[in-house]
Amino acid sequence: MRTPERPFLVAAIVLGVLAGPSAGPAGAGDDLEYGVKAVYLVRFAAFVEWPAAARRGADAPVGLCVIGQDPFGPRLDAAARGQRAHGRPLVVRRLAGPAPLDACDIVYVGRGAEPMLREAGDPSGRLIVTDAAASSRRGMIHFVVAEGRVRFHIDLRAASGAGLTISSRLLNLALSVQRR
Amino acid sequence: MTWLEQLRNSRFPILAISVLLVLLVAGLLISVASERAIREQMAREAGAQADLLASAVSGALAFGDRAAAQDYVDAVQVNPNVLAAAVYDERNRLVASFARPGQDIPAVARPRDHATTLFRDGRLIVVRPVEQGGQRLGTARLRLMDDPPMQRFMRYASLILVLALGALAVGILAVAQTALMRANRELADQAQALRDQIRDREKAEEALRQSQKMEAIGRLTGGIAHDFNNLLMVASSGIELLERTTDPERRRKLSEGVRQAVARGAALTSQLLAFSRQAPMKSAVLDLRGQIEGLRFMLERSLREDIALVIDIPGDLWPVEADAGELELALLNLAINARDAMPEGGTFTLSARNLAGSAETPDAVRLEITDTGVGIPEATLSRVFEPFFTTKEVGRGTGLGLSQVYGFARSSGGSVEVRSQPGAGTTFAITLPRTRKAPPPAPAPSAGASDRESGGAAVRRVLLVEDDDGVADSVGQMLERLGLDHVRAETAPAALALFEADPAFDLVVSDMVMPGGMDGLTLARTLHDRAPTLPILLTTGYSAAAAAAGSEFPLLLKPYRLEDLDQALRTVAAGRGA
Repeated sequence: MRTPERPFLVAAIVLGVLAGPSAGPAGAGDDLEYGVKAVYLVRFAAFVEWPAAARRGADAPVGLCVIGQDPFGPRLDAAARGQRAHGRPLVVRRLAGPAPLDACDIVYVGRGAEPMLREAGDPSGRLIVTDAAASSRRGMIHFVVAEGRVRFHIDLRAASGAGLTISSRLLNLALSVQRR
Repeated sequence: MTWLEQLRNSRFPILAISVLLVLLVAGLLISVASERAIREQMAREAGAQADLLASAVSGALAFGDRAAAQDYVDAVQVNPNVLAAAVYDERNRLVASFARPGQDIPAVARPRDHATTLFRDGRLIVVRPVEQGGQRLGTARLRLMDDPPMQRFMRYASLILVLALGALAVGILAVAQTALMRANRELADQAQALRDQIRDREKAEEALRQSQKMEAIGRLTGGIAHDFNNLLMVASSGIELLERTTDPERRRKLSEGVRQAVARGAALTSQLLAFSRQAPMKSAVLDLRGQIEGLRFMLERSLREDIALVIDIPGDLWPVEADAGELELALLNLAINARDAMPEGGTFTLSARNLAGSAETPDAVRLEITDTGVGIPEATLSRVFEPFFTTKEVGRGTGLGLSQVYGFARSSGGSVEVRSQPGAGTTFAITLPRTRKAPPPAPAPSAGASDRESGGAAVRRVLLVEDDDGVADSVGQMLERLGLDHVRAETAPAALALFEADPAFDLVVSDMVMPGGMDGLTLARTLHDRAPTLPILLTTGYSAAAAAAGSEFPLLLKPYRLEDLDQALRTVAAGRGA
């Protein structure tokens, strides 16, 4: 069973909500915004390829980890449920305290998680996704809200440094792509 | 099945129909195969295009970028065959689309999980799933124009044209062939009809010749009856005188006279029979002198005593080629005409001479028949050879006599002309071309006395089959005189029964025409089957029967003398018994 996702509907609503003056970090707008972001996180898994060395096994799931404060709640679990990427299932992991990122392929850096990321050190083999709403630091993919829509910047140089390959189709959709 | 019968009877060559059918089937197969190939090609191309769209639009679909999705969809428009294109999300809701005028795009699509290619209502519909990294993102759908019927027709127009031309050629050939066959058949029918006509005509001519002979004989009857009366007179008076005299010398003279009279009568009838026999016309090399000498007796009979017969034919006359019977008949007809033209008596002259030819005219023999009669008037001279033209009173002539003479001369390659002076007689001149062929050898002389003893088998006992008591009695006495025993049977079946009971006969003498359901010829064949070496001699007075016997068995013509019988018996015994 697939999760009933509605990215476009969500995007449309987000557009309307963010355009309004009552836009705030924790309202109904947040709700929709993070729903979209949750779906995007799941989609990224399909547009990114990991180096073979980073794989922990042929059937090992793609680990989708949220470090720091979790803004998604059950929406991320709903978005990831039943989804696969490159033949591997998606597993959502939430790492509240400092912990090794061994089982993480995609790392969403939530509010207050930068120290954890720094501690983790080498980002090799991991897609680091940051959020303008959580911090100013930019990972390989950086969520922003532009013109009322959830968009993202891509740092291709960092991703390449980590051994990741990002599909050009994803690059085409980025607000900006940092190359070399 | 009637159409099939009609087809078979129509004589329209079955081959032509087969060729047409093969052409048609081949054309259909080619069309179907070509159509299928073209559709497959179309589907392949459309599928590739849809794959391209599905691949390109995946990012836009995954991250809700409607504008980007629309850009990709719009790019498909460059293909003029694409009627509509659309991208649907995973829930089958429309994301981006374009449609040419008249095409509608449903807002919610029918779910399709797999790549689909289908032709429906003249449209080609292609659906391809949009996937990325194993994630199902939605579908890309294309609707293309299938070939319109007119375009498809144009595609096959050339093939249809070639097929039609082929059919036309085959048809024309078949029709020509049929016409030729019909013409041939008609020609053959006409030739057969012509042959039938010729055969009928030959039959009619044959009948005419025979009737001409019979007519001549009829006209001879008076003279023949006169002759017979004379002969009978000699015979009867001779016998009467024989009974009244005892002088051996006188009796000898009387019986000699009677014998001579009977011999003359026999000769006369045999000549009549030979003349009247029915024989097909047959050309032979003739020695005119011999032929006419042989006819002298008959000619004398056809003339009267007051008319002298003069035959003047040189011995070195060239041979000619003609039918002997027709020649005899022509001369007889001319003799009878001469007789009628000389009521006061006169001379009938038959003369012949060689006509040496020149460069233009070949050698010929001219036969002139001249009488000293009343002559033919100038007015009728030109018509004498016309059939049925006669100056004689009803019942005296048919008008066929001179036309027979004319026909004989022409069919022999010669000609006939007539000269006449009223009161000074008439001359018919028949010209026949000389032949270079050799005349047939003269018939071998009859077996002499020296041959009589050459027969190997001795004849002691004879089976005599004869229905007439008088004839049987006299022949029986003849056999006794020859020193032979004989047993008489009255009919052929009786003879067979006798032979069955006692086959110890050395020879069989049988009449040919007998009552009892079996004739002499059949008896002879039956006996020959049972005893092939048994000598058989047939006797008859009927010319028709003689002709029937042919050369199958030896034949002795009645009446015959003791000497004739003796000779025939010896010949038969020698020939068969050897």
